[in-house]
Amino acid sequence: MARVITITSGKGGVGKTTTTANLGTALAMQGARVAVIDADIGLRNLDVVLGLENRIVYDLIDVVEGRARMRQALIKDKRLPELCLLPAAQTRDKEAIGPEDMVALTNQMRPEFDYVLIDCPAGIEGGFRNAIAGADEVLIVTTPEVSAVRDADRIVGLVEAAEKGPPRLIINRLNTRLVSRGEMLSMEEVVEILAIDPVGVVPDDESIVISTNRGEVAVFDQNSLAGRAFINIARRVAGEDVPLLGVTDQQGMLDRLFGLFGRKSR
Amino acid sequence: MSDLVSIKGGKDGLRLQLDEAADWPSLLAALRTQFEQGGSFFAGARLVVDIGSRPMSEQQLAEILALMQQHGLQPEALAADARASRIAARAVGLTARPAPQRIPPPSTVPAGESDAMLVARTVRSGQVVRHQGHVTLIGDVNPGSEIIAGGNVVVWGRLRGLVHAGALGNRSALICALELRPTQLRIADLIARTPEGAAGQIPEVARVEDEHIIVEAWEVYRK
Repeated sequence: MARVITITSGKGGVGKTTTTANLGTALAMQGARVAVIDADIGLRNLDVVLGLENRIVYDLIDVVEGRARMRQALIKDKRLPELCLLPAAQTRDKEAIGPEDMVALTNQMRPEFDYVLIDCPAGIEGGFRNAIAGADEVLIVTTPEVSAVRDADRIVGLVEAAEKGPPRLIINRLNTRLVSRGEMLSMEEVVEILAIDPVGVVPDDESIVISTNRGEVAVFDQNSLAGRAFINIARRVAGEDVPLLGVTDQQGMLDRLFGLFGRKSR
Repeated sequence: MSDLVSIKGGKDGLRLQLDEAADWPSLLAALRTQFEQGGSFFAGARLVVDIGSRPMSEQQLAEILALMQQHGLQPEALAADARASRIAARAVGLTARPAPQRIPPPSTVPAGESDAMLVARTVRSGQVVRHQGHVTLIGDVNPGSEIIAGGNVVVWGRLRGLVHAGALGNRSALICALELRPTQLRIADLIARTPEGAAGQIPEVARVEDEHIIVEAWEVYRK
């Protein structure tokens, strides 16, 4: 029976789709049977990132509305036979389905896979509620930026209210140079604000932009730092105990920012 | 706070209890005073209007709803014993339910701020804790969240959200936190921002002095 995991963030552009594609691929490389679902109906992207855009015949809405069987709509990955994509519809919008449709859909997929990963749309509206409806676990992606962390905090609250259990955290695009200069939030600072367990930190790595644009995921690239980080995240998700390396900074950006203005009453 | 009107926090949110026997004009006047004193405590809140055994005409219901709308309040439901009142409520699209049994409050305790609420979790962005009495919080109050209390607010943790103490007009209310770094502080009708550079790494207390909100170290305040 599959574990259904939703990857969400609140804020757009922090790397949900990249994370879903890389995590799904990394899990499949370990030999697990993986399905990735693009729940961003109307703004589909996951197919592009995986380089499977030109193979789409049926989509998620076709399955929900009964025009296609699950098996017809699932697209096999180019390189890994264990990895499948259920693409979003591009010509419909988020209101085309409801949470109960997503629950039914994921339940239908559970027996066939070890992992079902759902790529959630940005925002906190219907699309988000649909994407978490069928989930057993939630992974929250954030970048070490104050605005992204604020949105992630909002999402943590909503996930807790939906009684999905405590979500876990992926910090994406951490720039170690900026952190060590105290100009970017460190992993420790982000974790301190959100008060949830981190499952991985992905370094800022321009090679991931290149691979994403080519429709090739970073985890295939032995030299990609981000790719290696995603492989480690996949191992942790699978239950392996892989140590987590944070980049510590003596002072911390928050203290530094506030410290700039003088008074330090200690 | 008037005897004719009382606001209570319950499991279904805020409950506005109206006296069952008083004559209509004085009840309406008391309600108006209550809303005006409450100011921002009520803004955006959803209220269950509990009229108990009082019979209420459609006209009177409309008057209450208009008054609530004027103060930015949304009706959650009408709780009433009389079936006629519930039917009147449904006619204007309100949810109606039977009123719960009224328990007379112990006479020695003044109504309002006497009770306290304990919240033991992280209050996150977008979440609101609203209570007519004191609020004690064990955990962090993150940016983007709001704590609104009729009485004092005590945070055993980092206070980084918006906090409003004495929201029903009590200027003697206090705000205490282990780390007081809120986006905004409000006590009664006064507003202050945290001065930039406030370190907030020691326990601090905010209170009103001479028309201003001042913040001082707990070690200073206690002396």
